[in-house]
Amino acid sequence: MLAFTVLTAIAAPLEIAKIDTGMILPGRYMRRHRRPGHDYGEAFLYDLRFDHKGQPRPDFVLNEPAYRDAKILVTDSDFGCGSSREGAAFAVMDYGLRALIGPSFGEIFQVNCIQNGILAVTLTDAAIADLWRQLRARPGATVTIDLPNQSVIAPDGTAHVFDISELRKDRLVRGIDDIDETLSYLDKIESFEAARRAAFPWLPTARRE
Amino acid sequence: MSGRTLFEKIWSDHVIVVSPQGEELLYVDFNLINEGQSFLAFDQLRIEGRSARRPQQHLAVTDHYLPTINRALGTAAMPNAEIRRVVEMLDENAQAFGLPHVGWFHADQGIAHVIASELGITQPGMLITCNDSHTATNGACGALAVPIGGGNQLRHVVATQTVWLKKPKTLRISIDGTLPKAVTAKDVILSIIGAIGVGGATGYAVEYAGAAIRAMTMEGRLTICNMSIEAGARIGMVAPDDTTFQFLSGRRNAPRGADWDKALAHWSALPSDADAAFDRELSFDAAKLSPMVTWGTSPEDCSPVDGVVPDPSDIADADRRRHVERALDYMQLKPATPLEQIAVDRVFIGSCTNSRIEDLRAAAQVLKGRRAEVPGMVSPGSTAVKRQAEAEGLDKIFVAAGLEWRDSGCSMCNGSNGEIVQPGERCASTTNRNFEGRQGRGALTHIMSPAMVAAAAVHGRLADVRRLEPATGV
Repeated sequence: MLAFTVLTAIAAPLEIAKIDTGMILPGRYMRRHRRPGHDYGEAFLYDLRFDHKGQPRPDFVLNEPAYRDAKILVTDSDFGCGSSREGAAFAVMDYGLRALIGPSFGEIFQVNCIQNGILAVTLTDAAIADLWRQLRARPGATVTIDLPNQSVIAPDGTAHVFDISELRKDRLVRGIDDIDETLSYLDKIESFEAARRAAFPWLPTARRE
Repeated sequence: MSGRTLFEKIWSDHVIVVSPQGEELLYVDFNLINEGQSFLAFDQLRIEGRSARRPQQHLAVTDHYLPTINRALGTAAMPNAEIRRVVEMLDENAQAFGLPHVGWFHADQGIAHVIASELGITQPGMLITCNDSHTATNGACGALAVPIGGGNQLRHVVATQTVWLKKPKTLRISIDGTLPKAVTAKDVILSIIGAIGVGGATGYAVEYAGAAIRAMTMEGRLTICNMSIEAGARIGMVAPDDTTFQFLSGRRNAPRGADWDKALAHWSALPSDADAAFDRELSFDAAKLSPMVTWGTSPEDCSPVDGVVPDPSDIADADRRRHVERALDYMQLKPATPLEQIAVDRVFIGSCTNSRIEDLRAAAQVLKGRRAEVPGMVSPGSTAVKRQAEAEGLDKIFVAAGLEWRDSGCSMCNGSNGEIVQPGERCASTTNRNFEGRQGRGALTHIMSPAMVAAAAVHGRLADVRRLEPATGV
């Protein structure tokens, strides 16, 4: 997993509410293998970025030249609601984004992002509206996200503190994958499992290994 | 000590490690896997040289990408190479990792969230995961069922049989009183989502309670829990009771003999204690609920069928107004249009939300002796449901009405298998999501109950099932 500490990058304002994961990664792209050079970056928000003929929609924010190199997206409410498709987080990543800032996120999507090294942080409606305003006033302006200090710094220098679980922060900053952490508890898992099987012998397990 | 909720009892039964950093490591009793994007997880596991830690505690189910027609043709029924490849990959991955698999010619074939309870796999008190956002469906049986991502999180569950979760807050939604005639579980959950919004229960584990839930069949409870995620909640559940126990009794994976008695004692202790405190409580009066339809591009955009399309200029909240303007533009609808005047081009009856036998009976009851004005298809939730429906003659009713009787799968709910609603086409659908492009790019979706979809089919427009005249042909 990519580690995340402090990021200063161009941020783009995306002022559309309730963009679900099916818009982030349209279903027809989910059949694709994801590999270098053939990743989900193209699929990211495809139907918003492109028209029916595959031409870029010039009025869509990410198609504006000033935001082409954005690594941060300042989203609207309920971004990533809907389907649990983890490919939506990969689409965000493959498009080149490292962080999302919004008033609210779909919970599964937010977890999927954070467990894949994409920081998705929540700020108040007022803070988001202020970020949008500044980013629209100065297209291409940068925002800083300081994960160790849990702070988003707006183009005008205003700092907004965000919440994140200590565990996710720690694993993001260290770039640590969950499996390695979990397997350090293997003896606990095994004793838990043995006790559970003894107490509830009817649990639907086809065969006892 | 104050009492504990159903959720807290099951959660604490599964905690292996409490991290001081705010998440807990929980044991996964059973994991369901669909072909969705699970290949992302298996690809990674292969690269890392990891295996499935407890393969017999998984069931791979092919449901999203299967065609619901022409299956006898074999792979030729899947002319799209990408779709065929996704189906083949789950076959290969299940075999390589030693996971039991209900593939496309399996006698149990069906939608994961239909067959898990049908086979008696879903039992009260279990912790179940699946790489699908509608996993909470299984909470209707009194289980703690949690959706996980199909890449990283699924990989973690396969490799360790555990999952890291942040403990959610608890929300009890009580549906008090008795539901009026023709108001179904689907109308209840749409009414809830309409009231609290698609983010209204984010961060909560929801317990559905109250007299209307207690009086509801398992099919109805499964429909309600299914759409918890449409209110933002990953977890939705109903306390197990006699309805649950009768439903489970005799099912293939249900306990038997002495085990049944022990299980029953355990299950009976699971419901929330009378003095249990929830972080938040909501209640609805069942008697005031109506048949619902969606008019916009989010499940919260719904109204009683006798209502009208809202006028954005009447909406004070600027964010909400902006969303509704965009939704009406996409849906090609004008403010103040009576919902019953909205003509539809096709109907779809199916999906993990509304494809169980009771759903098909409700739709067939409306369609019996009538003709559909528009084309449409009916896809039963499982092969077992299909057999049951055929034994009851429901298939003949659908076909006589002019609808297609298909095989089981996720199908037109999200069109993964290529069965999509065409751009600009308007579909009355028993499914769970009406987001832009959900049923196909440019598709216009209205979601509602099976009986309401049947009524829409008969009229060629959205229609109030309560006002349908008795059929002449019966």
